[in-house]
Amino acid sequence: MSEEPILRLEGLTKRFGSQVALSDVTFAVGRGEYVALLGPSGSGKTTLLRSIAGFEIPDAGKIILSGREITRANVYERGIGFVFQNFALFPHLSVKDNIAFGLRNGARRLSEDEVLSRVLQAIAMVGLTGLEERGVAQISGGQKQRVALARTLVMQPKLVLLDEPLGALDANLRLRMRAELRQIREQLGIPFLHVTGSETEALAMGDRVIVLDQGRIGQFGRPDEVYNRPATPNVARFLNRYNVFDGALDGEVFASAYGRFAFGIRMASTESAYAVRYDRLVARQAGSVSPAIRVSYIASEYLGAAIMHFFETNDGKVVEVEHHLSNGPPSTFSEGEAYDLTWTAEDGIVFG
Amino acid sequence: MESRIFKPVLAVYVGLFLLFLYGPFIVLGILSFQQGPEGGPQFPITQWSIFWYRDIFGLTPPSRIAPLPIGVSLFRSLVLAGMTMITSTVLGVMAAQAFRKNFPGKTASFYLIVLGMIVPGILVGLGSGLVATTTGIERHWWSTAFATHVVYTLPFAFLVMLAIFNRFDASVEEAAWSLGVSPITTFRKVTFPLIFPGVLSAMLFAFTLSYDEFSRTLLSSGREQTLPLAIYSTFSVEIHPNVFAFGVLTTLFSFSLLAVYAILMTLSVRRAKRVAIQEAIG
Amino acid sequence: MSTIEATAGKEAAVGKTAEPDQGRSSASRSYLLIAPSVIWMALFLVVPLAMIVYVSFWTQSTFKIEPKLTLDSWQTFFGSDTYLNSLWTTLRIWLIVLVSTFVLGYPTALFVGLFVRNKTLQTALLVLCVIPFWTSFLIRVIAWRPMLGKEGAINILLMKFGIIHQPIEALLFTELSVVIGMTQIYVVFMVGPIAFMLGRIDPNVIEAARDLGASFWRILRKIIFPLSLPGVVVGAMFVSVMVLGEFATSAALSGRKVNLLGNIIVTQVGSLKWALASVVGVILTVIMGFVIAGLLRVVDLKKEL
Repeated sequence: MSEEPILRLEGLTKRFGSQVALSDVTFAVGRGEYVALLGPSGSGKTTLLRSIAGFEIPDAGKIILSGREITRANVYERGIGFVFQNFALFPHLSVKDNIAFGLRNGARRLSEDEVLSRVLQAIAMVGLTGLEERGVAQISGGQKQRVALARTLVMQPKLVLLDEPLGALDANLRLRMRAELRQIREQLGIPFLHVTGSETEALAMGDRVIVLDQGRIGQFGRPDEVYNRPATPNVARFLNRYNVFDGALDGEVFASAYGRFAFGIRMASTESAYAVRYDRLVARQAGSVSPAIRVSYIASEYLGAAIMHFFETNDGKVVEVEHHLSNGPPSTFSEGEAYDLTWTAEDGIVFG
Repeated sequence: MESRIFKPVLAVYVGLFLLFLYGPFIVLGILSFQQGPEGGPQFPITQWSIFWYRDIFGLTPPSRIAPLPIGVSLFRSLVLAGMTMITSTVLGVMAAQAFRKNFPGKTASFYLIVLGMIVPGILVGLGSGLVATTTGIERHWWSTAFATHVVYTLPFAFLVMLAIFNRFDASVEEAAWSLGVSPITTFRKVTFPLIFPGVLSAMLFAFTLSYDEFSRTLLSSGREQTLPLAIYSTFSVEIHPNVFAFGVLTTLFSFSLLAVYAILMTLSVRRAKRVAIQEAIG
Repeated sequence: MSTIEATAGKEAAVGKTAEPDQGRSSASRSYLLIAPSVIWMALFLVVPLAMIVYVSFWTQSTFKIEPKLTLDSWQTFFGSDTYLNSLWTTLRIWLIVLVSTFVLGYPTALFVGLFVRNKTLQTALLVLCVIPFWTSFLIRVIAWRPMLGKEGAINILLMKFGIIHQPIEALLFTELSVVIGMTQIYVVFMVGPIAFMLGRIDPNVIEAARDLGASFWRILRKIIFPLSLPGVVVGAMFVSVMVLGEFATSAALSGRKVNLLGNIIVTQVGSLKWALASVVGVILTVIMGFVIAGLLRVVDLKKEL
């Protein structure tokens, strides 16, 4: 990156009692980035966000914002915006007063005219014009989301943190808000750090994606990098797109309980595993190909543009095969029947 | 089925039970309309009149019946209750706010505060009187009795505020901080408006408890009496229907307090919606 | 990079923006908030209570007391029949009132907590039970006199219905009147907690028991009562504390015939016999300690609540 990153984390560590929530987290975010923070529950993503905001104080490490260290600074002096999952709107104030709250009660004293003009600007930016005088109990979930956003943006923060902002919205609204959030960020030119548990959301929204795995960074890269070349087996698992098999590297092949497989991509990792994407597998008649994994068929799920077939190995491991319907009509399988799953070696990723 | 007979039988029982609870008060109410000043504090009603009500307000000609020593003792009780209400509510809110986090000594402080509502009045009163006597401090309703009143009402205010804070969603406070608003201003502009219904309840509790307080006050109060003490002093002598009239008036006063409280509550609740219980889904 | 961090470090040293260690400062804020309450209770509750114990060992002359330690007042108390009688009377009345509030209050709590399914009706009934509290305590005590006297309401009603032909004299100015008065005043404290616990019983449990063929009395004994026990214990604690500390009801309704420990404290303080009053105070505290400790053994409250 040519310019100084807006946000830099170095070795951030946080413990709750004996539980380690964050362990040695280090990364940097630049001015023009929309960064998605992905991880399952318990991965520490909310703790990370809250530490950056100042709601939690880390046990070790540094947080540097625009060159200034803020690791232990007061929340209200950091100049970082935070959008809550449950919106956290002030129930006793109107939409307008919610948005104006920071301007009216912060350290800087602005004239009421200045406050109002900024508030109206923010309202226009998030598309809430006309709702200024409403009480917050009288607006919909999507509108509450926008109020929460406007309230933060009107303060002209250097960085905006969003904690699963779309989690409480219905699917349709969620898709619309994705585009809007990216647009707003683009307009403002400040970085957004967006926590989500949904891998599709993370891949769709992030210029870069951080995948958190039990308090550590599993991977930090562009969405296509993360998707096509997951850095660790856990990252591959979180993406919900890979079948992951245990075993060990043995020379030029990977030895697993289901056979010995050649591979195309090698990722250095502490854990040994072998991953093949769902849509890279094909199912053939048993005994017709080699190498292959012997499975029996369970069921299929219709996903619209694709069909997901579920198979099971002898020892009960479920293997998923995704068939994109643009590739041709799907095959039919018989429940309980044996089949062989195969793929091209280049599509196999080995970790270890 | 047995329970089918059980329920109506129980219902009748509860009816009688309520009669038992309210009986004395009903009798008291009836007798307050006894003829005066010759009418005695028992049945039958020789003649219905509002003599004794007028007697309370000093509107009757002097008779051999001494009027109830209300006047200034009522004033003292009201002032004392007001002082107690404010002090214990402020202390209770502060203590409950402290209890939102963990700190060493938290459990001990909890029991120490709650102890004030468990220990019976005479013991606390006795102790206060003792301390006053042995250290030479004079006992007054506005000093020693006041201190003891707060000891009694603070636990109630504290527990009410604890319950309120328990249901309080702190994310609105975090939101305010993230907007650059200092914690003190946040408390003023966000937290307090949202906990205000609870504060009102605590204030009502404290006022009522102090206003009617008797056993603690008896031993810690000194010569100038509060209202309950003044009433008590008439017990040992003959009682007259003016006590009953007073009882009715005092109950009406309590009800009007409740009404004021209800009005204030509806007003503040309408402003604060609910006590910051945010809906996750809109 | 190091210069930026050095500058940041200097800013922190100025102290305007950085908090030294959130852990430490937030604890000090908590202490600041809790201190006034703790100090108040320590000064005006703990110290007075400690004084009671201390003074019980002081020497009492006619109108003065001195900090010379002695067991005189203790001997006076335990050596006197009158005082010992009041001890037994207190215990006896406590037990009777406890039982009577339980017997009278439980069916009401049963009805309100279990049989009334409508939440609003439940609350309304409970409020009805609490309303009498809004009358001054002393008035509630004195209100019993016109009820219980020879020409009191009860006697009049009973005679009118021909149930008795002579007024019952024993209703007023006896131990019975004290028991009646106290029961009425304190029974609410039994009803409340018991109704609360009963309201928490899942009706499906009772349904299931009935389907299995249990009779209603069986269900009452084996399921309902044990589940309501924490409420009974809480109610018993409330009632016990209040009855043991009582003196106004006995003063007003027994015509000085019933002398509870509370009455003794009041009269002794009236004659400035602080040491003896303190002795009685200590005895009262000890009794209460035992009662509460005993009740807490019946049910592990922390777990049940």
